[in-house]
Amino acid sequence: MSGKRFEPSIVAFTCNWCSYGGADLAGISRIQYPPNSKVIRLMCSGRVDPLMTLEAFKNGADGVIISGCHIGDCHYSTGNYRTEVRFMALRSAMDVIGLNPERLRLLWASASEGQQWADTMREMAEQVRELGPSPLKGGSKK
Amino acid sequence: MSTEEPRIGVFVCHCGLNIAGVVECKKVADFAATLPDVAYSVDLLFACSDDGQEHIKEAIHEHNLNRVIVASCTPRTHEPVFRQCLEEAGLNPYLYDQVNLREHVSWVHMDEKEKATQKALELVAMSVERAKRLEPLERQIVDVIPKCAVIGAGVAGISAALDLADAGFETYLIEKRPTIGGQMALLDKVFPQNDCAICILGPIMSRVGRHPRITLLPYSELETVNGHVGNFRLTVRKKTRYIHPDICNGCTDCEQVCPVSTPNSYEFWLTDRKAVYRPFPQAVPSSYTIDKKGIPACRFSCPAHVNCQGFSTLIKEKRFSEALDIVRNAIPFAGVLGRVCTSPCEAKCERGAFDESLSIRNLHRFLADYEREHGATKVEKIKKDKKEKIAVVGAGPAGIACAYDLAKLGYPVTVFEAREESGGLLRWGIPEYRLPRDVLREEISRVEGLGVKILTGKPVKSIASLRNRGFKAVFLATGAPVSTKLGVEGEDAKGVFHALDFLNQVNSGESVDLGKKVAIIGGGNAAVDSARVAKRLGARTVTLIYRRSRVEMPAIPSEIEEAEKEGVNLMLLATPIGFIMSDGVLESIRCIKMRLGEPDASGRRRPIPIPESEFEVRVDNVIIAVGQMVSPTSILKGLEVTQWDTLSVDPITLQTSLKGVFAGGDVVSGPTTVVEAVAAGIEAAKSIDRYVRGVDLSEGRPEILRLVPSAEVDKTRAEIAERAVMPTINAKLRKSNFAEVETGLALKTAVAEAERCFNCALCSECNLCIEVCKPNAIDHSLVDEFVELDVGTIILATGFKPYDPSETREFGYGAFKNVITNAQLERLTNAAGPTHGKVKRPSDGMPPKSVAFVQCVGSRDRRVNQDYCCYTGCENSLKQATQIKEKYPNTEISIFAMDIRTHGLGYEGLYRRAREMGVIIIKGRPSEIEEIPGTRSLKVLAEDLYTGERLGTTYELVVLASALLPNDDTKDLARKLNISTGEYGYLMEAHPKLRPVDSFRDGVFLAGACLGPMDIPKAVAYGKAAAAGAQSLMAPGKFQVEPIYAEIDTTLCNDCDLCNDLCPYSAITGEGDERKVMYEICQGCGTCAAACPQMAIDMRHYRSEQLMPQIAAAARIHGGMKK
Repeated sequence: MSGKRFEPSIVAFTCNWCSYGGADLAGISRIQYPPNSKVIRLMCSGRVDPLMTLEAFKNGADGVIISGCHIGDCHYSTGNYRTEVRFMALRSAMDVIGLNPERLRLLWASASEGQQWADTMREMAEQVRELGPSPLKGGSKK
Repeated sequence: MSTEEPRIGVFVCHCGLNIAGVVECKKVADFAATLPDVAYSVDLLFACSDDGQEHIKEAIHEHNLNRVIVASCTPRTHEPVFRQCLEEAGLNPYLYDQVNLREHVSWVHMDEKEKATQKALELVAMSVERAKRLEPLERQIVDVIPKCAVIGAGVAGISAALDLADAGFETYLIEKRPTIGGQMALLDKVFPQNDCAICILGPIMSRVGRHPRITLLPYSELETVNGHVGNFRLTVRKKTRYIHPDICNGCTDCEQVCPVSTPNSYEFWLTDRKAVYRPFPQAVPSSYTIDKKGIPACRFSCPAHVNCQGFSTLIKEKRFSEALDIVRNAIPFAGVLGRVCTSPCEAKCERGAFDESLSIRNLHRFLADYEREHGATKVEKIKKDKKEKIAVVGAGPAGIACAYDLAKLGYPVTVFEAREESGGLLRWGIPEYRLPRDVLREEISRVEGLGVKILTGKPVKSIASLRNRGFKAVFLATGAPVSTKLGVEGEDAKGVFHALDFLNQVNSGESVDLGKKVAIIGGGNAAVDSARVAKRLGARTVTLIYRRSRVEMPAIPSEIEEAEKEGVNLMLLATPIGFIMSDGVLESIRCIKMRLGEPDASGRRRPIPIPESEFEVRVDNVIIAVGQMVSPTSILKGLEVTQWDTLSVDPITLQTSLKGVFAGGDVVSGPTTVVEAVAAGIEAAKSIDRYVRGVDLSEGRPEILRLVPSAEVDKTRAEIAERAVMPTINAKLRKSNFAEVETGLALKTAVAEAERCFNCALCSECNLCIEVCKPNAIDHSLVDEFVELDVGTIILATGFKPYDPSETREFGYGAFKNVITNAQLERLTNAAGPTHGKVKRPSDGMPPKSVAFVQCVGSRDRRVNQDYCCYTGCENSLKQATQIKEKYPNTEISIFAMDIRTHGLGYEGLYRRAREMGVIIIKGRPSEIEEIPGTRSLKVLAEDLYTGERLGTTYELVVLASALLPNDDTKDLARKLNISTGEYGYLMEAHPKLRPVDSFRDGVFLAGACLGPMDIPKAVAYGKAAAAGAQSLMAPGKFQVEPIYAEIDTTLCNDCDLCNDLCPYSAITGEGDERKVMYEICQGCGTCAAACPQMAIDMRHYRSEQLMPQIAAAARIHGGMKK
């Protein structure tokens, strides 16, 4: 690592209505956070197939965030209920395969919660940095 | 997917310095050029400008581009702009992807420029992976219904509705209150010109009412919304007013007689209104409304559903005979149950959760007593219009109640009673000091007065004998008149009594010899009755032995207290295990101590014997009162019974195993309360009537009653008041006689007690209004209606609510009478208000000589998450100050404000005018307000921030300029419509600058103060803007919907139907090869695609094969871009 700080790669899935808007609001409000996360915009967090999360880890993501509307506020009424179920299942699966479940996070953020968005991006970057590179990352063993 | 090789153009926007100030745009464009399939890349100053778009179009032609990526700002605003740009260049608009370099990079990573640029490169690389796999999509065209639903009929909603209707669109205007007009209708003058609010609003209100293309739905609420833009289906609940609005002529007669008062929210609680009301005289429509919330807890919990709130309300009004009629509508026993009822109503009384429950039982006893004292009206014999004879067996409470109701229905009823007098356990079980015999006799004779024949001393042998005598139906109410045995050794000894035998003997006038020491076994009412009777018969020590503790005793608590006053000892947590006798005569009881274990099936803690804790109590007599049983008389032969030997009946119809034979009361339930027996009689009467008429016995039963939930009972303005105490005769005077112990409430006490009633249901169904309504407009049996509306667009204009500081008692509001809100002052200056426009202090009704306004109460306040300006408070206080000055020029007026904000035209003039009139403006928020005892004036403690001076001036009236808040149902409405609310709970617009009246959902528009605080001109402008938005959507008659929806590959599908379970819109239909997604219903969330175990479902524009490479790129590239 030659003393250089480990910069984790974080993939963030957001729904179009609440969380993408929340991320936009953080920008409009100029709330600063570390540049480790990259957003994949979908219509609903319910679109996030568990395979997509695994695809991210498989390709070397150190952390994944799934973000959607608060329960009860889903633009599609109930899509995010499914998101929550899948999130729980994914975390236990990660545990089984030896991937720390803390690398996956669920964030309910509305379009008015720019601050929460920025806070979570910061926390996640710090947390994943502490966990170190993902064990699935090719060639990361140094 | 298109087959041609992708040729991608990447356009990196500087957005002036918004992006370029942080991200090296040139470097991003250069990097993009190195990526596979990118045919062209460039950085532009403003991609969205005409020049920028022209550049993109030219590049498409010049470089033969078939995919475009713009790396600029958020796609949530500019995606449509660039899609159109592609279309104009002849490219399918869905071959486009946007990278958000501004909101997601340059604005959030300002201090890390190098890393920001790196992130920008990676986002572009991700987008390229996605873009090369995009496919052209065709938009679907839907027909638009040229009708709009406007929800909320304040000034914004009215303005929107009028513009739409004038433009030729059918418009529904839905308002949840009984009148349209919203908050503006409650205002007096409106700033800055100070013109009269209702004078300018009234005409447009009535225009709405008359407009041929506006359908007004007042007093209605949105239930559900289905469908999509262009074709929404709304289900609207038209709440019933219990008054036909077309017949009501607004004459106010009903309001005059209505006995129920409740704080008037339209006067901001300065005065009360009636349960039947009209918000204000100019209301549109002008019909009255009865405010009825359901069934209050007291009436709901009463087994006989006696309308407790109804008679309490009339007692308050001293209309005693009408009140008594209400009791007698339900039960024949106002006086009897007024004495012996266990009053389950009081246990559920809402007042009980506040201070002490209302003394409901004593109130209806009062009514019966009052009638006895003042002479009862003669009972009118009811005309028997039915021929079918009904037999009731047993003249106890169940039998009498059943006969009473049947007689009222016009049936000839004969009651057969085996004993020599009627009344059942009321007569033979309950002692006279609790229930004087004449009270019982009189109430039974009233029932006879209706035409019921009661034959005493006539036991009935068999049901067949009744049938033979021509009785069409039979009600069996023979009770449970035998005491249960304890089952303990020595129970047959001389000196051991069983409670019912003992009480029966006493109540029959037979002499009973008791020794000096008497023990009672049991904790119910029969036990306590026996104990108190024993005391009266001369027993020196009377001990009540009960196996649980006092709180578990089933007897009425006040009875236990009175028993103790009379000298009865309680021996708790003990139970007899044997009676010791010598020569067959009782000598002592052997008892064991108990402790309490886990709760049993009855919910009470189970008593458990403590080993080796036996002890003996020397007694002369024991009275066992541990329960009652049904006696197996001949008439019950052949009927099915339960394991407890009670009759087995249908729980709803009370029919026994024999058709036409019904049963109720203790013979069915085992020993319970009098009121439950009465309730059973009432239910049986309903069944018998249905049986005779040949109607289905159980259809629509039990009746579903809507209990008024506790949360709906407003207790915020209630004051603590003690429950009336029932006067009793001195305990010493009671011992040797059976005179009634409780002497009844005095008139004054009863009225005061009735005033404690919270009127939980508001309308108490006393029906006085029906009698006075000349056009017969009132109908209490009306129910809510549901209507379905098909519309193309929806406008929400649901407004705000003024902050009520009573929750926080801020600045003493709610505690100090002369601290009011600006909304309340508005009512005081209003000629239509409670003081007819005279400004009067609430404490003494005098015009205040000095007034302080306190600004920003609940506004700009971080502590309560309301750190926004209310927008109207400064102007409003300035306006109100000038109004007071106009009427009372000598009034001293100060405004305490952090700042005075008078934005825009006209408002500065108002400020100057107030200053010129002598209004003093003090910069500084008061720290505290103290009430001066006596005068009830208010000392306002503050610091003048300009001078640093500490102020402590006294004012006669303080006015709080309180915040504006989102309406309570805003969140709920947002959920129904799938739109968003913002940080403070107001509805959220699609873009704060460019789309201020659009929601995120196509076809749903927002107007007025549901978006945030605004003044009237702004609310009207928003209303008109929303109407314009809705019109431009509806005018073409067609709307293009996003082609983003799910598709099913039926060759992969195995019909597991999981997609159907998950779809929030039920957009999936068919099976096997026929299974498909209905694109016009699918909203494109993709939940089904993510769930399909066969991976048979994919989302257009968000296909797995488009997303997976993008995800892989996002995960992979970080840090890999150097060189």
